[in-house]
Amino acid sequence: MKTPRIVRNKIALAGLIVILLYVLMSIVSLFWLPFNPVAMNSAEVLQGPSLASGHLFGTDEFGRDVLSRIMKGTSVSFIISVSATALGAVIGIFMGVWAGYLGGKTDNAIMRFADILFAFPSLLLAIFIMAILGEHTYNVVLAIGIVYIPQFARISRGSIIALKGNEFIRAAKSNGAGRTYILRHHLLPNITAPLIVQISLSLSTAILLESALSFLGLGVQPPDPSWGNMLSSARKVMMFAPWTAIYPGLAIVLLVLGFNLLGDGLRDILDPRLRNVR
Amino acid sequence: MGKYIVKRLLSLIPVLIGVSLIVFFMVRLIPGSALQMYMGTQVEATPEQMEQLKRLFGEDKPIPVLYIEWVGDIMRGDFGYSLRTGRPVLPDILSRLPISLELTLYSLVLALLIGIPLGILSSLKQDTFGDFLNRIIGLIGLSLPQFWLAALMVIAFSSSQGWIPMGNYVSLFENPLQNLKMFFLPSLAIGFGFAAVVMRYTRNSMLEVLQMDYVRTAKAKGLPKRKVIIIHALKNAILPVITVTGFNAGYLLGGSIVIEEVFALPGMGRLALYAINQRDYPVIQAIMLVIASLFVLVNLVTDLVYAMADPRIRLVDEEK
Amino acid sequence: MHETTILQVEGLVTEFKSERGIVNAVNKVSFDLERGQTLGIVGESGSGKSVTNLSILRLIEYPPGRITGGKVLFHDQDLLSVSENEMLSIRGKHISMIFQDPLTSLNPVIKVWKQIAETLMLHQGMKKQEAKKQAIELLRIIGIPDPEMRAECYPHQFSGGMRQRVMIAMALSCNPDILIADEPTTALDVTIQAQILDLIREKKEQYQTSVIMITHDLGVIAEMCDQVCVMYAGRIVERAGVEALFGSPKHPYTRGLLESIPRMGNVGTQRLHSIKGSPPDLANLPPGCPFRDRCDKAMDICASQLPPEVVLQEAEGERTVACWLYPQEGKHGRA
Repeated sequence: MKTPRIVRNKIALAGLIVILLYVLMSIVSLFWLPFNPVAMNSAEVLQGPSLASGHLFGTDEFGRDVLSRIMKGTSVSFIISVSATALGAVIGIFMGVWAGYLGGKTDNAIMRFADILFAFPSLLLAIFIMAILGEHTYNVVLAIGIVYIPQFARISRGSIIALKGNEFIRAAKSNGAGRTYILRHHLLPNITAPLIVQISLSLSTAILLESALSFLGLGVQPPDPSWGNMLSSARKVMMFAPWTAIYPGLAIVLLVLGFNLLGDGLRDILDPRLRNVR
Repeated sequence: MGKYIVKRLLSLIPVLIGVSLIVFFMVRLIPGSALQMYMGTQVEATPEQMEQLKRLFGEDKPIPVLYIEWVGDIMRGDFGYSLRTGRPVLPDILSRLPISLELTLYSLVLALLIGIPLGILSSLKQDTFGDFLNRIIGLIGLSLPQFWLAALMVIAFSSSQGWIPMGNYVSLFENPLQNLKMFFLPSLAIGFGFAAVVMRYTRNSMLEVLQMDYVRTAKAKGLPKRKVIIIHALKNAILPVITVTGFNAGYLLGGSIVIEEVFALPGMGRLALYAINQRDYPVIQAIMLVIASLFVLVNLVTDLVYAMADPRIRLVDEEK
Repeated sequence: MHETTILQVEGLVTEFKSERGIVNAVNKVSFDLERGQTLGIVGESGSGKSVTNLSILRLIEYPPGRITGGKVLFHDQDLLSVSENEMLSIRGKHISMIFQDPLTSLNPVIKVWKQIAETLMLHQGMKKQEAKKQAIELLRIIGIPDPEMRAECYPHQFSGGMRQRVMIAMALSCNPDILIADEPTTALDVTIQAQILDLIREKKEQYQTSVIMITHDLGVIAEMCDQVCVMYAGRIVERAGVEALFGSPKHPYTRGLLESIPRMGNVGTQRLHSIKGSPPDLANLPPGCPFRDRCDKAMDICASQLPPEVVLQEAEGERTVACWLYPQEGKHGRA
């Protein structure tokens, strides 16, 4: 009756294109950057964006090229958000499927644990984990991954439990199919749709969490550039050199938007029933 | 309703016990060597600090005993002493709590005030250009880092008198107007993303509710459109929005910590960051405990508000 | 328009935009409703009977639906051309509706008395307390035991039959001229169905209300109605008094419908008749009679030309039928 399906597909496509552009930028940055992203240059401190000097996005308080640092930071953001999501997804899905499939005491224990982790707001939990583990890039992955575990556990458990009551599972059981067989052939393939959407949204949140941690000085440590710590150091100079704050922020917004668009589109394509889930 | 409240209160106990266990053991995960290194930098530890360290890491007692003693102390309102200043932790937290709470509540109110009307509007104009624009802006809102938005606000409004707090904090009771003005931008920075979430939920939920038979009944009664939407549709459509609000209260609470840093507001977030930088573990522990308990409490309040808004929940529970 | 005619529908057309094109859910439908009469509209699901009645109250959602033609004359006023504000004072006050599923038709989060009182406050200008009293009184009249207590309840605390009683109380609260009942018993248990039908009949007589009864159940028609319209694919194919219709159905579709009802005498001795095939796709109706693919009396002309309504004069009175079996010897009805 309406045409939104096409529009939504376009939305997913737009998201995918944005993400691919970033991937491209990240690959290019491995081989070529306009300037050395870590070399300080006292002669070119805090220059505004200009075509003539070649500093398209200007320079920071150490005379480093902002664009080069943003490009270099792309890989950092990708690596952290992908590995943190992978960590949280693998452990969380394992726990959730296990809990949902076995039920009973195992289920209760696992889900109570997830409830308790849920009692901490995600950014706070990540901050505190960083405080305990110490500031290091690996620890950022660990902290965000831990935050994600209960989220993936809850979603996969819910889907498994919803599926378990279905006729086709009972039919498979009565045909003598073993537990592992049912799990692998009937349950897991059917919970992929909500998980794919969750993964896409988790990737976007991971980028936000990483940048917040780095902004607070708890994430990626200078001189390694990350969008978050670029913003952190920009705070001191942003009043008279706003480009140091604007461009790294835009880099975050666009990539996160890309993942959100993809997630939104995927949700509508894969499973219209999930429309109300964030 | 009474029975429902009691039931929900009782269900909080295991969660709170779990939270305290996590907080207790997480601090114990810190490698001992790191602590010794820390103590090495401290030239002279006061007796209180030595005592505090023993309480944290006391090697002389088994861990379960330490845990029970710790919980007992907290029940008596003794959250321990700062390793850095030697002062008791609780008064410091209590003096900063109102700022964080105000930021959280203020941002929540702003988010609802922006999100609900826009969501309704979007649902009424479904699939028009305005609706499309609304959804795109909503998605951008979800993608904005709160601290970056805050930084942009600081850049843009730095010359406007009174909008940017920057060190001259005025409490709500001293000067409500000035306080609300100064907290406006920080709260907007925290709540903007959540406003987008609220808008999306309100829109989807309204779209669903507007299809319902009871909306048709209301129209068949001769109610004007405005009343149909506000009285009949919104009362139902708001239910999922309540749930998502409870779910995201933590996001607002967490946001307030980062935003306090940007706007230099002396709230709990700044205390937490200071404590983390200083490796002041008793303070970190106490803040973690307070914030998690607050969040648990917020979820309880959400459930109660939901039960008040949806008679089906509350009455089913009472009949049991 | 006769003296006694209270509602006259003429050439009503309602179309819906769908992915596959424009669908004429209601296609040139005409009928009269006499004062105090019960008019039945019967047909399969999708035949346009509900849409017809939603169109009378202009409750068609645009988009996707739209009333594109015809007149609905009520008290010499064409409801299709009055302003939306005037329409508001007709809905619920002069013409009210009850729906198929009373659970989903009542608002789950609003107390029962408020849902009834709302209409009273809106149309009768009552104050809240007065309206509440009247709502409780209506609940009593409609047969809800302990109405003071039940008024404070929410719809989900009522049984299905009780909920439909509440709907009826709400619909009758302003003493309307016309009550449109859209499948009022379909969602209910069989034992409750009869109670609800009795209630509608009783209140109709008490308040002198005219009723339009929409149903797919010929049993309900036989029990409740004076006049019957049979709808098929958005059109009225036959219209007659209830006895004439059951006694000598003219249209092959009506005959098929009647033969598909089990009768006590036939049980076990004769196979039930069923109409072969399924209703046509409204999004692309071929020319000619929409029933011809399922009709065992189809002729050549049925494939090319739409049969007009023909008026037949009988001893019991006038009736119309739209079928080529009845050549236009008499005068034409409304096409």
